[in-house]
Parts: sequence; C-alpha cells; structure tokens
Amino acid sequence: MTDFKKIEENLKKEAKRLLESGEVTVVLAYGKGFDEQHPMPYATKSVADVDNIVFNEYCNYNMARYLVRYPQGTKIAIAVKAADSRAVIQLIQEEKVKRENLVLLGIPVFGMKNPKTGEVIDSKTTSGMYNPVLYDILLGDEVHGQKIVSPYDVLAQYEVLDKDARWEFWKEQFDKCIRCYACRKACPMCYCDPCFIDQNKPKWADKAPQSPGNMMYHLTRFHHLAGRCIDCGECSRACPVDIPLYLFHKKVSKECEEMFNQAAGMSIEDKPVLVNFRVEDSDKILE
Amino acid sequence: MLKKTAIEKISELAAVLMDKGSLLAPVKEVSGHNFAEIKDPQKVDLNFYNTIISPKGAFFPHKEDFIKYKIGKPVSEAELTEVDPKPVFLFGVRPCDVKSFSIMDIHFNAAGIVDPYWSQRRKATTIFGYAYDLNQPVDPADFYNSLGIYAADPEGSDIFMVKKDKDLLLKSITPKGEEILAKLNTLIDAGKDDEKYYEETLQKGKEYKTRFLCIDQDVIAKKLEAIFHNNDFWTKVSFACLSCGACTFVCPNCYCFDICDDTMFGKGTRRRVWDACMFTDFTLEASGHNPRTQVFQRLRQKINHKYSYHVKKYGVISCVGCGRCTRSCPVNIDIYSIVEEALKA
Repeated sequence: MTDFKKIEENLKKEAKRLLESGEVTVVLAYGKGFDEQHPMPYATKSVADVDNIVFNEYCNYNMARYLVRYPQGTKIAIAVKAADSRAVIQLIQEEKVKRENLVLLGIPVFGMKNPKTGEVIDSKTTSGMYNPVLYDILLGDEVHGQKIVSPYDVLAQYEVLDKDARWEFWKEQFDKCIRCYACRKACPMCYCDPCFIDQNKPKWADKAPQSPGNMMYHLTRFHHLAGRCIDCGECSRACPVDIPLYLFHKKVSKECEEMFNQAAGMSIEDKPVLVNFRVEDSDKILE
Repeated sequence: MLKKTAIEKISELAAVLMDKGSLLAPVKEVSGHNFAEIKDPQKVDLNFYNTIISPKGAFFPHKEDFIKYKIGKPVSEAELTEVDPKPVFLFGVRPCDVKSFSIMDIHFNAAGIVDPYWSQRRKATTIFGYAYDLNQPVDPADFYNSLGIYAADPEGSDIFMVKKDKDLLLKSITPKGEEILAKLNTLIDAGKDDEKYYEETLQKGKEYKTRFLCIDQDVIAKKLEAIFHNNDFWTKVSFACLSCGACTFVCPNCYCFDICDDTMFGKGTRRRVWDACMFTDFTLEASGHNPRTQVFQRLRQKINHKYSYHVKKYGVISCVGCGRCTRSCPVNIDIYSIVEEALKA
C-alpha cells in the first residue's frame, strides 16, 4: 500500500523548497477540506501556506484542470498522479501550457478511494495506472507488482450490446442528466471558452435537462474528447447523478488507440491524433 | 390525530395516495434517492438519509413549459400551458427541506408578484414531513442546526411522520393534513405508547446534533458586506471551485431561472429552466460585457446572496443547512466552512 504520509511530507518539503527558491510562484496540490475524507484542490502561493497541504487516499482531483487558469508563462509546480501526468502531457501537446514552465511533482499511488462509495478507484473508472508517466521529482516509491488490468476490460459488458441496446442504454443514462456541467468543469481537457453548449448563435442545444439537448451535449463532448481523454475518471466522479461517462470515453479511446496506435497523453513528442496526419494512419474510418 | 402503519406496508399507503392524486416520494436510483412521481407503489422507499436533489422541483420544476406556439402564426393561436389542478402528495420530506419551502414562498408568492405556477402547486400539495432517523449517524456535511432547524421539527408540514422501529407514525399538523389523514383507510389508530414515542422523538430531535456554528443573520450579513472587496479572501475560498452548477441544482433554496425559447421545425416552446449563478454565461450581457468573469466573483455572489442580500431584503438566510451542496460538490467546497471563515475574516 502507498505510504500517503510520506508523500504528504515530501509534497510539503518540495513545495517549500520550490517557493522559497522562487523557482515557481504557485504549487498546485491538495489541501484540507471540511474533514479528512473531503480534501480539496489547493493552490499554495507562499511558504506560510505549505502546512495546509495534505495528501490522502481521497485526493482524487486532477490538478491539471487548474493549469489553464494561469496566464501563459506562470511558473507552476503541480502534483501529478498517473492520469494527471497524462493530462499535463496532453495539454503540452495542445500548446495550452509549456513544459519549461512546469515542475511536475510525481505521485506514484495505489489505493485512491472514492469518498462517496469508499471503493478503491481502479481501471474500471480510470486508466488504472499507478505511476506518473512524466515527472521531475518523484514523491514516493514507484508502484510495482500490482495487477495490471487493461482500462478497456470494463467495456466488455457494454460491447456485447447491439446498436439498438447501446442507444437505449445511453438514452436512459442521459435522461438522468441535470445539466450542471460538473463533468466538463472537472475535465482537464475541457478548456474551450465558450463551450459549444453555452453558445446561442447558433444555439446547439436546448437548455432544458431533456433529450435531445442532453444527448447533444454529451455526444458532442464525447467526440470533442476523442483521442484527448486521458481516462482520469474525474467526469464520472464529479457527476452528482452518477452517469458512467467513463464508459463512452473509454470506448472512444480504445477505438482511437486501435486506429492510430497512440494513447492520449503518453509522450510530449506525440501530436494529438486528430490534428496529425501520418501516411501509415488507419483508413478504417473511410471503409 | 396520530395514525400509524407498518413500514413494510408503505406501498399500500402509497396506492391509496395515488388514488387521490399524484404522489411524489423518494425512490432509489443508482446514485442514491430522489423524489419522483410514483407510478408503481412498490417503488416508494423510505430507507434514505436525504435525497440528492432537493424536493423544490415539486413546486418549481427543473423545466416548466409556459407557452407553445407556431412560428408565423398569430399570438392568439399560442397555447398557454396550465398547471394540473390534481392534488399532490409530497411524501417523506426532511424538516430542513420543509423549511426551505417557506423561504422559497417569499420569491414566488409574496415578493410582490405571485408566480401562478408555484402558488397553484403549493395549494394543491400536501406535505408529509419526515423526521430524520435519530438512530442513524448524522451526515458530516449537514448543518441545519446552525439555521435553527432540528431533525424532528414538524413545522411547515401538513402531516409529520416519525419512524418507530418497524412502524411509521403519522401526525396531522394542519387542518389540511388532518382532513387527508382521516381519509387514509390503510392506516390504523396509534396507541398511547405511540403518542409518547412521537412526542419523545420531537424532543430527542433537538439532541441529534449536526455541525453547529452560531450564525446571527444580521452579523453575517454585515460581515459579508464588509469583506465584499477582500479579493484575497474570496480567491482563496474559491480556488478549488470548478464553477459548475451542481451545488445550485441540488440546493432547496436556489431559485434562479432562465426563460428560453426552444424552436424547431416551425414549432416553439417558451419555457422556464433552472439557471445557476455559477455558470460563466449567467451574467453575460447582450453587449458582450460580463460583470462576473472570475470564479471568485461567482462564488462570492452565491454566498452573499444566501447569507447577506437575502437577509437584508427579506429578513431571512436563504439556506437551510441540508448539506446537499457540500455533498454534491466535485471538489468539496463547503458553504459552512466559508461562512465560518467569513465570520473570522
């Protein structure tokens, strides 16, 4: 099991060092919430605030979500778990942030929990990776020897459904949607301003929480994230009515990976699949 | 009048109520319980702590159609949508949520303009309040005690219900409740010990402690006014905020809405839809100017509206401490902690 206390100490230590030396102006990590099970995303701007930093099994937040709020050029240190590091890589690929402005505090972790259910978060709702893909400083020991489960295994129950059954499945799920937009707001890749759903010239979908508006919103969002979703599972965790958004994202990611042989956010050398053309790219989509 | 029924026979009671009107009651969904119109009496499930979304939708639905029209046709051909006058039974509402209805009445019924949709529904609805189960632990997010509400307060309910082991005790509070209760023939008369248990529960409800903070409404209202320009404070408490609308949509006291036209294939509907002050486009003006572009401005607005402007304008805090916003927040923003911090600031 991951030594959460040790990671917390290292996080504080590094945050202090980075702020003191002036290497960064802000450290994006986790802070105290109203109780231990409910920590919060936290931005440390001064050494005096470093003591408020915490790390425990409920610090699920993908801090990459907050990167785009800062003006380009801001020197930022950011705590990244496995999926979070992929989000940072993807943002670098999309030129939303620059590598040289970031200090990545890598957190290898196994045993993160969903505070709502108490369940361990694994490859069912996220990529199920344990070690950050990219980091400058590692805050704990790398996790090895845990069972590696493909993040796409969970799709098996969904893929047996035929076209009509899938349509019914998603129709039912989207009927639950209350259009609070927590999913897009929790998503590190949803940085469009304005989001298409907020536009009213043209108005892409009705504002009321009903189909076809709900369908329009979710299906469009799913496709805007094709080849970009890094499978952190934050959209599903943020959803107050528990729509299993991760299923659709995983399905699209799987197809993308099969067609283009590239998973999102795995290397800063990559280009996002849908803005890149390679002669050897699959023509499956045209067949 | 005190009546009772076995909780396992709750579907019989539900069937009787469905016979007399429409029944809105908690049903179990994947993510938890929510109020829904009951089609199958077996679905009523009282084994819940509180619903994810507040019952405000019973009077102020998430979407409400006002007018249906055809483009290019004269206004006289447009159809007004009427509220169904059928009696409604809103079953199993927690005391803090019952309290929220009286606060919402200010906006829809008493602040100068009467909203016909809200008031017609209010009149047609009988509220069955339901005490929290005092044997279950309090959710850490709740803080209704701080707003002067207790776990077994019958105030505002027409009929108040208390769980007694395997039975449900139903007490009429208002004449409307008494009339309904007398007609519910699946109920049996309660005995002396039930009377005693009911009274005791109301008392014990005061000992069922949620988080508590001494909130004097005039003090907090003034304090928030004083720190309005303290950007450091607001940026700090709102850093984590994602600016989604989850908190406002689950809240029993948020009442902002948008009126929009949905037109397609020559047909149109003008409807009211819940809106949220946390959305970026909430204050976007036609000129393109937006007075609240920053997250902290929007969160500040939310807190100030509930704990400051509302006190000054209507003399009451627009929050009942049900804890829903805290529970539903993807990043655990806690309005109670913000109020606590504000008092210290």
